[in-house]
Amino acid sequence: MAQDLPPSGGYEPVQYKRNLPARGFRPSYYLFAMGLICTYGLYKTGKGIREQNELAREKMWARIHLIPMLQAEEDRDLVRRTWADKAREKELMGGESKVYHSDRFVRPTYTITPKNVTK
Amino acid sequence: MAARQPRFNQNVLIDTTPLPDSVPKVPEIGASSAPLLSASFFIGARCGAYNDDYMKCKTEAHGKGEVECMKEGRKVTRCAASVLDDINKNCLEEFRKHWQCLDNNNQQLWHCRRPEQLLNACVFDKLKLEKMIPGAPENETPVHLRDRQIFSHNMSSYRKPE
Repeated sequence: MAQDLPPSGGYEPVQYKRNLPARGFRPSYYLFAMGLICTYGLYKTGKGIREQNELAREKMWARIHLIPMLQAEEDRDLVRRTWADKAREKELMGGESKVYHSDRFVRPTYTITPKNVTK
Repeated sequence: MAARQPRFNQNVLIDTTPLPDSVPKVPEIGASSAPLLSASFFIGARCGAYNDDYMKCKTEAHGKGEVECMKEGRKVTRCAASVLDDINKNCLEEFRKHWQCLDNNNQQLWHCRRPEQLLNACVFDKLKLEKMIPGAPENETPVHLRDRQIFSHNMSSYRKPE
């Protein structure tokens, strides 16, 4: 029996490549366009961050200018209450006692409720 | 010492005893936050020296500054009051516009550049006080003088180009 051999002249070429058209531009163009978009976005972000920094600086300085004034008012009130406490103590106890083991100013912690609360 | 500052907000708990007469009386400011924010840079411009003096005094008093720095504190309060007084006398219209704008915009300065521009111009004309932000980069326009504010959503943020 004769052996099975390729046809004379050989086999026909096998088509392994798909015959599809490549859509769109070359991929490198897309990469480039993406790079441009990202650069623009980062540029805008950077601008925004710079502006935010400046706005934060403005806000901080607005507060820095106000703090001494607010603190002075608060301190005056604390001193007033402390002295009132001391005067009250002197009147009730007949002398001043040293409550805290410290020379520093201690904010008054307690307050006196008035004797007659009308409302 | 309590870490949290005690506050007695209930009406009945206010200790109304005034300071003794040996301490000079000084009227408190009594302004709410928006007018203060609006006037802050002018307060800083006129009262910077008093403010620094007071803060330095408190730093150097090492915890006793509340009593020892009352004199400096009175100067600070009087100076701030004088600025607010002058603004009220000379630029009341612009001042009101600006702080009401601030109140309506979450107290964010960048929403109110147009009213601020008018206020700054008026205060500079009448009182010779200028808004200056220390430490801003020198090669760019200070943020309060820019024509457009990136983060603002309303038209009153736009300054008129001069």
